[in-house]
Amino acid sequence: MIRNIKTLLALAALAFTFGTWAYAQDNMKHEEKAKTLETGSFHGKVHGTSGRATIYQEADGKLVLRLTNFKTSNGPDVHVILIAAKDADDNANFLKSSTERVELGSLKGNEGDQNYEIPSDTDLSKFQTVSIYCERFDANFGAAPLEKF
Amino acid sequence: MNTHVGSWVLHRKWILAAVGLPILVAAWWAFRPEKLWINQKVSEPAPFASSTDPQPLYTGRLEGKAHQTSGRATIYKTPDGKQYLRLTDFSTSNGPDVHVVLARSDEANLTQEIVKGQLDSVELGSLKGNQGDQNYDLPASVDLQKYNAAVIYCERFHAVFGLVRLEQF
Repeated sequence: MIRNIKTLLALAALAFTFGTWAYAQDNMKHEEKAKTLETGSFHGKVHGTSGRATIYQEADGKLVLRLTNFKTSNGPDVHVILIAAKDADDNANFLKSSTERVELGSLKGNEGDQNYEIPSDTDLSKFQTVSIYCERFDANFGAAPLEKF
Repeated sequence: MNTHVGSWVLHRKWILAAVGLPILVAAWWAFRPEKLWINQKVSEPAPFASSTDPQPLYTGRLEGKAHQTSGRATIYKTPDGKQYLRLTDFSTSNGPDVHVVLARSDEANLTQEIVKGQLDSVELGSLKGNQGDQNYDLPASVDLQKYNAAVIYCERFHAVFGLVRLEQF
């Protein structure tokens, strides 16, 4: 009798554990959503830069910058960076050594939709502007000031 | 004599070539002028699957006119084709008979705080609250290329509380 009850208890515990696990899995599926944190439009007259820059946070916390409807002029050694500024002038050779920046990588293409990973420790309240930046000539091809979505 | 001059010219050509060519190569490497005509197009997918969620089509920040107004306005499209305007972080002043309408951003009336005459607009409904997140359904037939601004509009006094020019998301 007691053994029967023990077996029953063990089975119940097992069922409960499995149920909780399955429920948690199900919940995680529902939370697999990216959040839109910030967005802004590009301006840049000299190099004809236009489009949208949006920062997403994926379900696992990763930050991604996505460019959409994007267009700029092709050029040598062009990078995507975040700068610690509210905005940048069109074609400003703005990057004094004092301007803090976060490098996101070489521009993948001068047209089209593209994603760039942002280092997870980046302080987005400080780095508020995306710049398409030609490193060789210190030229800002275009900038997108970001605002809360 | 002739052969001497000829060889000197030939010699000078070689020097020119020896000096000029590296300069040309360096200039090409630095400026990459051919990139002016060559486009590199990419088309990466969004970093997450969200085809079942409403997709943002247009967005913009509200600016105050007759009254201080702030926040973001975004037009979404649901997978079944319905469109709605969503206000987030929204704040304006309370007032009588305040509506949310779509208007044309190039309309001269919108540069003023008070509209004279009739505002060419699409009615979305009475303002649900002067603060907070809220949604407004769009008529199915609305032409968003034409009506590309959202206005917080007091119909009684023809006052433009605030407006936002919507840009493609």
